Amino acid sequence: MTSNFLELKGLYKTFDNITALNNVSLNVSKGEVIFIIGPSGCGKSTLLRAVNWLTPPDKGEVWLEGNLVGSSSSKLTIKEAKLLNNLRAKMGMVFQQFNVWPHLNVLENVVRPQLVVAKRNKANAESKALKILDEVSLHNKIDEWPDHLSGGQKQRLAIARALAMDPILMLLDEPTSALDPELVGEVLIVLKRLVNNGMTMLIVTHELGFASEFGDRLLFMDGGEIIEEGSPKKILTMPKTKRLKMFLKKLDITSFKH
Amino acid sequence: MNKVKFDISYTFDAIPRLLEGAFVTLQVAILGFTLSVLLATTITVARTSLNSKIFNSILAFYISFIRGTPILVQIFLVYYVLPVFGLNLGPFTAGIIAITLNSAAFVTEILRGGLASVPIGQFEAAKSLGISGYALWRKIILPQTFITSIPPLVNEFTMVLKATALLSMITVVELMRVSQQIYSANYHPVEVLSGTFVIYFLMCFVVSRSSVFLENRFIVKRAR
Repeated sequence: MTSNFLELKGLYKTFDNITALNNVSLNVSKGEVIFIIGPSGCGKSTLLRAVNWLTPPDKGEVWLEGNLVGSSSSKLTIKEAKLLNNLRAKMGMVFQQFNVWPHLNVLENVVRPQLVVAKRNKANAESKALKILDEVSLHNKIDEWPDHLSGGQKQRLAIARALAMDPILMLLDEPTSALDPELVGEVLIVLKRLVNNGMTMLIVTHELGFASEFGDRLLFMDGGEIIEEGSPKKILTMPKTKRLKMFLKKLDITSFKH
Repeated sequence: MNKVKFDISYTFDAIPRLLEGAFVTLQVAILGFTLSVLLATTITVARTSLNSKIFNSILAFYISFIRGTPILVQIFLVYYVLPVFGLNLGPFTAGIIAITLNSAAFVTEILRGGLASVPIGQFEAAKSLGISGYALWRKIILPQTFITSIPPLVNEFTMVLKATALLSMITVVELMRVSQQIYSANYHPVEVLSGTFVIYFLMCFVVSRSSVFLENRFIVKRAR
């Protein structure tokens, strides 16, 4: 048992001799907004996917509100799988590629998991879905098919789908990276509202401006390890390590921010 | 030798009985195909979720056996082999089993392709929301697999429909068998078989056209 809201203990993961997570530990308090940055292949997505056990680490434990999410990559029993499902439903995940379900319309995308996992009745699920779709400004698209939506709309739908499960934690894996630049804003607006509502979030991103404005903490990862962590403004303006300095320099060149 | 005259009245006379045969043909085809889709779906889900080498080897053996032998031999084998094991099924049941086992191999291959077109992210999104096991397949993955598989599945159904003619060899009284019965009595095979020919064609034509309908219903409205 642990008093922490979310606790990652000694996570370790390799893929074909590449170390994606090298003994990563992290404590997250309720309401904290943590941004994770780092070069491609640094393990930041693996870290996020380890939290809800989508990529089970080789070693280590994840605890959410004192419940063990998982502690090894061995096969789960039926009971453990059920517990994992319930915990996963509390951790909304948003993917770079949206992963909305193309065979279901916008409303059904948000309703379906509520019926299957949260066991709500259809009327409740639909009214909840309509409320949340309104919050992400998709209320006029409820009968639309996902393939007819823009990238920004798809991502807002994916966020709505996760929010409908009443998550206590949101995991966002590069939520704006696959979007056309002019569509990034509409997704960030939705995310900012989540921050203001006190949602606990782990966000992998390259939106440094967003991170420095809204992040409580920023982690810089490289080679499967957390190299630097602290207040985003401080870390971004005064990087201590050479690796972070180089990473920020590269980002500046590619994004023409300054 | 006198030239054989084509007398269409023999065709018309045969039509009521031919239609009865066609009804049996449709029953065998629909039942066999439905069972084969159920079997193939089970195999597809089992193959992905078990990820077992033994299961995959057995499956590969089964598929190559079905693909590598004539369906007529398979039909006879089921018909004559089952009684050896004490299962005395009539030709109708034996025929359906043979058609199901044959078609399931092809449908499994079709569904494999359909499943491959479902991105891994679709599984991950469902899992991240707590959807797994039966619900994951039933609600999220299989609908997408089947939607993309509509054209080849419809094509496979026409193959099954045509293959049922071979069941006449094990005395299933379907369209082909009925035709044979009629022309062996009236000695007018050309007239009778012309009717049979048209009926088979119409059935297959309707089935192929249904592909367009199903694609419009499930694919076109979802696509960009």
